[in-house]
Amino acid sequence: MFLRQLRSELWKLFGKKRTYIGFGAFLVAQVLMLVMFQHSNWQRNTARLLEGNGYLAAEYLSALTVAVVMLIPQILLLMPLYACLVGGDMVAKEAEDGTLRMILCRPISRARLLLVKWIAGVIFCVLLVAALGGMAVLLARLWFPWSGLFVFVPGPTRVFAVLPAGEGLLAFVLAHGVLALNAATMFSLAFMFSCFNMKPAAATVLGLTFLLANLVLENMPFFEDYKAFCLTHHFRAWLLVFNQPFAWADVLGHLSVVLGCALTAFVIGLSAFQVRDIKS
Amino acid sequence: MNGDAMIELRGVVKDFGRRRAVEDLSLAVPRGEIYGLLGHNGAGKSTAIGMMLGQVWPTAGAVIIRGHEVTHNRAAALARVGAIFEAPVFYDYLSGWRNLEVLSHYSGPVSARRLAEVLDWVRLTGREHSKVRTYSHGMRARLAIAQALLPDPELLILDEPSDGLDPEGIHEMRETILRLRRDLNLTILLSSHLLNEVEQLCTRIAVMNRGRKVFEGTIADATRRPNRIRLLTDDFAAAARALTAAGLADAAEGPSHLTLRAGIRVADVARWLVENHHPIHELAAEEQTLEQFYLSLMNESRAGAQPTPPLAH
Repeated sequence: MFLRQLRSELWKLFGKKRTYIGFGAFLVAQVLMLVMFQHSNWQRNTARLLEGNGYLAAEYLSALTVAVVMLIPQILLLMPLYACLVGGDMVAKEAEDGTLRMILCRPISRARLLLVKWIAGVIFCVLLVAALGGMAVLLARLWFPWSGLFVFVPGPTRVFAVLPAGEGLLAFVLAHGVLALNAATMFSLAFMFSCFNMKPAAATVLGLTFLLANLVLENMPFFEDYKAFCLTHHFRAWLLVFNQPFAWADVLGHLSVVLGCALTAFVIGLSAFQVRDIKS
Repeated sequence: MNGDAMIELRGVVKDFGRRRAVEDLSLAVPRGEIYGLLGHNGAGKSTAIGMMLGQVWPTAGAVIIRGHEVTHNRAAALARVGAIFEAPVFYDYLSGWRNLEVLSHYSGPVSARRLAEVLDWVRLTGREHSKVRTYSHGMRARLAIAQALLPDPELLILDEPSDGLDPEGIHEMRETILRLRRDLNLTILLSSHLLNEVEQLCTRIAVMNRGRKVFEGTIADATRRPNRIRLLTDDFAAAARALTAAGLADAAEGPSHLTLRAGIRVADVARWLVENHHPIHELAAEEQTLEQFYLSLMNESRAGAQPTPPLAH
């Protein structure tokens, strides 16, 4: 019965056109970024950086490298937006439309209903991230060869990685596993707010506000010593996956914080949903 | 507990913040009856129904459905309960069939054959694979009935099911409710503003006003006015004066109606009129419509209403 209920939630989620807005937006953004990469200084600067460090640009200016370059801004801007949009809708939209009352006159427990909805949302996040990565590689492959991966991220999360194609692909896939967890946590935050008595848009905005506040605090100089308390700091684990040697302990530490936040958000949402009255 | 009651509410109270929405509500819906829940907007009907369905948590008291307390054993209480709410809403972007499948998954396994059966019962066969957004209001109402029938219910809870329907739709809904009672032997709780509907459908009613139950009984109890009679005689004015002088009636009302004194029966009046040579062309206890009863009840409640005191902190 659990699987049937999960299937129902997936039918509902993927039957809505707005669910696909995120996929469409990623596709459009990726095409635009690819065109910009091709026809701006962006590509030249990347080649210069590679050659300045003693690598052949032709060997590492590949589909995988360009896919990672395209991913970074999308993960900062678009992924939180679409994960929170779906999370904010999940319960609050059904409550607003009245379909939640139709469901809750049936003998399903609120905890079970919420768990099924949350799992459906997590599946959406995994598919969104998989589509994001898949589309990035496929689009980049149209213009760039299949060869080694080069990743450079300046700043506090310093990453400088030059990997052969096989290892690069493995790191790319692993990074997407971490990104899926990040997306599921962003979704869980908006989902938590959605369980309270509020409009879907309010739940989405609160989820995004929470993430933005974390990002702002994390980047304040006087907050340097406390940045480990900011969720967005731990989201960067996906970049650490590219570093060689791979720092397992660091990555697992970040992942456990992110997973803990996702589960905490679910439990808070469940507690709120359990005690609230569902009225028309 | 009342062993034959499908729904039983015992001293149920519901507060929303400092506002008391339902006050000490007790009622019992006997098995096999069509029970009407009346009251104007804000009277507490929907809150009471919400508590019956485990959607609204009572502040105090017990809500028992099919012998199971809803707060503690919701799954058992609602296992064979169907419900319809005013202005039925569905997932418009899915087909009628898919909507039924989705909703059935929250009750228990339902075969494709059962789905086809209920769709046939509500006469939606042929349109089941169209998106619900293409359905008319009447078709949505029928789909709402179909989803309520999916768990093979013993009890149907209908909250304003005729809301928003045109006269033809209201007639169809009334016929459907009667058919449900007749063919499937269901117990039905019907909340409605349409007093005419309730009068035609229900056997028992409860009337709520400001969160309190102000009447519970049969439709016959509600419409009977034992102390008011209609008398047709040769000289009504003379007969009325004589009955008043004899201490049988209080006052005449209009050209043919009398209010009897407490404890005086129609038979006593008939005997006295015959003994005193007043010809009787017609003598009958007066009945009132449910609407008249409801309005008089509301007027009485309004006249005697005390403002609901705010709750103590």
